[in-house]
Amino acid sequence: MTATPGGMESQLVIAPMVVVLVTAVGSLLLSRRPRARAAVSIAGGAAYAIAVGAIDWYIVLAPDAPGIATYQVGDWPAPFGITLVADGLSAFMLTMVAVLGVASLVFSTRHLPGGGGRSYYFPLFHFLALGVTGAFLTGDLFNLFVWFEVMLMASYVFVAYSGGPQHTRAAFWYVALNLLASAIFLLGVGGIYATTGTLNMADLALRLADPAAYGLDPVPVVGLLGLLLSVFAIKAGLVPFQFWIPTAYRAAPPQITALLAGATKKVGIYAIIRLSFTVFAGAEVAVDFPIPLLGLSIAGDSPLPFVGAALFLMAGASILVGGIGAVGRDSMEGVFAYSSIGQVGFIAIPVAIAATTIDPGLRELAIVAALVYALNHTLAKGLLFLAVGAVRSATGTSRFADLGGIASRSPPLAIAVFVGSLALVGIPPLSGFFGKFLVFEAAAKARAGSVLVLLLVGSLLTIAYATRTWNRSFWGAQTDAVETSTVDSVQVAVLVLLAATIVAVGVGFEPVYAFAEAAAEAALDTEGYVDAVDPIDASELDDSTGGDH
Amino acid sequence: MTGVVLAAAIGALFALGTFLLLRRDLIRVVWGLAIISQAANVYLLTMGGIAPATADSVPVLAGRGEHVPVTADPLVQALVLTAIVIGFGMTAFALVLSYRVYEEHDTLDVTELGDRE
Repeated sequence: MTATPGGMESQLVIAPMVVVLVTAVGSLLLSRRPRARAAVSIAGGAAYAIAVGAIDWYIVLAPDAPGIATYQVGDWPAPFGITLVADGLSAFMLTMVAVLGVASLVFSTRHLPGGGGRSYYFPLFHFLALGVTGAFLTGDLFNLFVWFEVMLMASYVFVAYSGGPQHTRAAFWYVALNLLASAIFLLGVGGIYATTGTLNMADLALRLADPAAYGLDPVPVVGLLGLLLSVFAIKAGLVPFQFWIPTAYRAAPPQITALLAGATKKVGIYAIIRLSFTVFAGAEVAVDFPIPLLGLSIAGDSPLPFVGAALFLMAGASILVGGIGAVGRDSMEGVFAYSSIGQVGFIAIPVAIAATTIDPGLRELAIVAALVYALNHTLAKGLLFLAVGAVRSATGTSRFADLGGIASRSPPLAIAVFVGSLALVGIPPLSGFFGKFLVFEAAAKARAGSVLVLLLVGSLLTIAYATRTWNRSFWGAQTDAVETSTVDSVQVAVLVLLAATIVAVGVGFEPVYAFAEAAAEAALDTEGYVDAVDPIDASELDDSTGGDH
Repeated sequence: MTGVVLAAAIGALFALGTFLLLRRDLIRVVWGLAIISQAANVYLLTMGGIAPATADSVPVLAGRGEHVPVTADPLVQALVLTAIVIGFGMTAFALVLSYRVYEEHDTLDVTELGDRE
């Protein structure tokens, strides 16, 4: 039984996962030989980047690329086995993770954060990447839960990694919250299975599009989608689920926080986009929620208007809470942690616009806006958190009270941070400009005046906290801590390269836009997704093919 | 009848878990989390149907033809097994972590811990 057409593309789908798993185990075996361990890690990171690049080119971007490829694990046909799917959306997300992951990996070889667990740093790093990669590639809802857990377990250890009083406490809150979230995820998964009889995403989309043909009553999926949405919002750190972010981000080593903000947050965003648009957009469920106080009602033929309304509220609140919170912090990572809350709001606003509109053109534009903004946030925030790591390993502190004048002490470091801050603010020609521009364009086309005002306020807050961070730590006279510091040259080189990437993405925006457009098309193309996965309708199986696998 | 009993049991487990989760003692919080995970597992198991199963009542078999034996839903059992393993690992980790918290702070009182910003 050959359920995997297209040979090489199909093998490529699983390649990043195999590479990162082998690297993780390899670095675990070499725990007594630090140099070999670092070498294996770097080689694994490079191989991972190559595998992701191959997916980008051969599956999505090449002129004759199929646009989507699947790998049926164990050659079990969907929906009975686990399906891995690489399409434009997955490839776009993987690319962001690969760029930031390699940067953080190289950065980590220079100055490993202290604590007794140094030999487990690299294995954990790769297991974190494995969870993120699996979440982006899986085409099965329960398998998504499993990859979430893989990702979370590694991140639990990293939050507790430094082992001080505040770290263990932050880790406990983080673990408790996410264990609860996992139970809620299971409730959603179980309910969806009982309602539809499948957990394969393509099969789910197929069955929900025509529930009568399968004898299903799909109404419960709206509420169950709400449960899943809250779990994903916890991962993405949207208000009102943002409270864990500042403590956890402060506790984890900065080079890991770069990944938490740049990669695991994006897993939440990815899951929202994938499930809302690829899977549930075509569901034949009429929703009608009256809101008595405002005299409004949320109505439509699919669960999307409900998703849109919920996301608008959460994203709007995130922009305000994150922006206002960031202005008053007293340390670099505190500012950037709150900034992450606000920036994720900027990513979720266009997703909400896409969910609310019925115009297919605007829907695609809005998804593109969300993806470009997500890319910018991954690069800029990744750079800034790595910069926190560089400042900390040079001066031993990242509190504003002890910092000042870094710009004259290490101009390259300052330039990199300057570029990252400007990208966050959205100055042309950096990647952030296009992200902001597209988000504003989507909001303007949706004729959402209040959203525009909100975005404007959020942007002003971004300028305020970015300027303040710059003034307090990089400008002015050198403090004692800065004067006696030596900045690591490799770490600065990584930062400068990331800054150059931000500039390059902005200057050569055309291909990036084309990639984001392909990703948005893939996210909205339910039919193509179902065709590629090709779930068998078992009622058509007869006895001769039923049991011979 | 079995359905009512199971529903009541799941409800009671979730209630107990939530109650423990809101206690001040960190160990009780861990117990609460463990009980909520187990409640989710029992719930997951019931989602496959609890009556003697036929092709109509087991979700993975429903709508897939008549050529299936009378069986309990195998899929939810596989799911629950995975969830139990993950839950077991996480409970162990949470217990170790609460011991570390005790070592670092000399207290397991959530309110006291929260005050030490």
